[in-house]
Amino acid sequence: MKIFDKLREVIEGLTVHGQSTAILRVKAQIDNLFMLITLGDMLGVPILPPYYSLRLMPYVFPNIQNWKRYMLRERDVTDLVS
Amino acid sequence: MLNTPAPYILLGLILYFLTYWFYARWVDKKIWESDPNRPTPAKLYFDGVEYFPVSKYVLFGYQFKSVAALGPIVGPLTAVLFFGWVPALIWVILGNMFIGWVQDYSSMMLSLRNEGRSMGPITYKLLGDRVRKILLIYLIFYLIIITAVFEWVIIDVLNRVPGTFTAVLFVFLGGITFGTLIFRMRMDALLATLVALAIVFVGYFTVALVPAVRVPGTNFLDSPDFFKAHNFNPALTWPGTLTVAFWLVVLSILYYIAAVTPMPKFLLPTVYVGYLPSIIALVLVLIAAIFTPLTGLTIQQTPVKALYVDPLQNPQGGPLWPILFVTIACGAISGWHSLVSSGLTPKQLEYETDALPVGGGSMMTEGAVALSSIAAIMVLSQPPAGAAAYVQGATLLTSKLLNVPDVYMNILYGIFVVVMGLITSMLFVRVFRLIMAELFEESPLGNKYISPLLILAIAGFLAFVGSWTNLWIFFGGTNQLLAGLALLLIAVYLASVKKPTAYVFVPGIFMAITTLAALAWETYVYGLYAYLGKPIGVQAAAAVLYGKGIVTISNLISAAFGALLLVLGAITTYYLITGWIKYKRGEAVKK
Repeated sequence: MKIFDKLREVIEGLTVHGQSTAILRVKAQIDNLFMLITLGDMLGVPILPPYYSLRLMPYVFPNIQNWKRYMLRERDVTDLVS
Repeated sequence: MLNTPAPYILLGLILYFLTYWFYARWVDKKIWESDPNRPTPAKLYFDGVEYFPVSKYVLFGYQFKSVAALGPIVGPLTAVLFFGWVPALIWVILGNMFIGWVQDYSSMMLSLRNEGRSMGPITYKLLGDRVRKILLIYLIFYLIIITAVFEWVIIDVLNRVPGTFTAVLFVFLGGITFGTLIFRMRMDALLATLVALAIVFVGYFTVALVPAVRVPGTNFLDSPDFFKAHNFNPALTWPGTLTVAFWLVVLSILYYIAAVTPMPKFLLPTVYVGYLPSIIALVLVLIAAIFTPLTGLTIQQTPVKALYVDPLQNPQGGPLWPILFVTIACGAISGWHSLVSSGLTPKQLEYETDALPVGGGSMMTEGAVALSSIAAIMVLSQPPAGAAAYVQGATLLTSKLLNVPDVYMNILYGIFVVVMGLITSMLFVRVFRLIMAELFEESPLGNKYISPLLILAIAGFLAFVGSWTNLWIFFGGTNQLLAGLALLLIAVYLASVKKPTAYVFVPGIFMAITTLAALAWETYVYGLYAYLGKPIGVQAAAAVLYGKGIVTISNLISAAFGALLLVLGAITTYYLITGWIKYKRGEAVKK
């Protein structure tokens, strides 16, 4: 990578990266709402899956494993620092 | 040549580079055995939200932004004023060479090898729930003290560098505009940045060129007669004055908004816009420090001052050991960094081998910032006490280098200190609110709107009535103790996986003993002055205005906090050392 690109990435990290991860977290919370309602049953949440969940499956299928891991991952207070 | 700061700064930078190239890379290869082919949590636990691989250059910038605050700026200058520039320089260089980068890098590797988990879960896994709970309680009180200290530093600069407030308002305006343009009007990011920067420049040049805009002035709410009557220097900031109360209220409102609004709306665009001029300021002062032989600035400060000061004669300072090591906090080593290094960054490292340049590299860069702060104070012959001294020193260095009138650099560095301070301190209040929400879920203490009020009230009181330098040493003590505990925790982990621990255990023991001693000393000084009913240093102003009682209460609270943190720190150190011994012996640790 050229020096200019490296410098650009460092400045991106200094200024924007924190913002983009915060926005991703907000987006994830909104997505979670949808996923919980349709596929919450997979995590043991007692929501009866509506018929439409089945029809949505092919679209959400690639993300199910990642989503489950994200929802069930251990979290603690020190995760909130950064 | 030798009477300018340049050779010493260059020596520091060269030693940092050599440490990185030989010592740090040896530790990376031989002890942690980092392997670029081993998958990191970013790849193993990819979720597209927090765990995803990011380029090491972006992470370097993000890590540096998360760790760099006012520590490397205010700490070194205070130490130079207490003990002379030689001890300060030696600690900033040697501390960073053997302890600073060790903590940042090792915390990052610790998290990396533990599925990207942060300090809390790792403590739980290695030593059980009790130690984790103690750590969390310690964190709550630590956040209160650090908020009080940062509030004081920002108030000091806002008061003593008139015009900074107006310029910072323009930065906020630029930030809010950027947020609105990006999110509401969906403008292109580059264009929105240029608009925001234009607003900041308008503010900057208006303040620099139009003296009438540089309001409010120093101590504007208090009459000059008050200062003359009691022999207080009207150019300094005094606790208890109406001006300090005014700024405290303004800051508290800002912190409250930042703590309860969603991050992307207010806090983050402001950070973005505020950081762009700050980067320029940082780079400029380092270059100016190195070019001092050309600009003709020489060292004006004493090389070595007294190695011990009797607290009854001068409560600020103390014995060289342990006070020097806690006065310079983030410049040499800082506990806050261990929390950040085990936070988001290890979840996003693409290769294990990236941890060293990101973690170790950003700490050494912060060491460079501390070196430039030492240079800034070295060239001042009669620096006033307090953070505004940095603004003065940096202005002198850079205005001579660039050959521009003082006022331009004065405003730039005023903005720099305030913005750097605000960015991290807004985060502290927010983190406090989130921790309280976790720990006190149902009760009002955990309420989203009540817990920020709690920290703002306590920290505000301590800042309003407190002696600033003692509060700074207090903050240094708690911060560095956290660092010592983190180092010992890393040693415990390495012992549990049968790796050599000396490189991190020895610094950990040193930091733990030094900081426990420093906390004990500060608790003693606060307790002594509370018992005697005397105000410490600048607290005299608050004592005059509100009576000795309020000063005594503030010192008692500080002493109580100190004693509590001392006890918690000592207990945690004990558990960490016994855990290390047990893991070394190969026994199971009872949790």
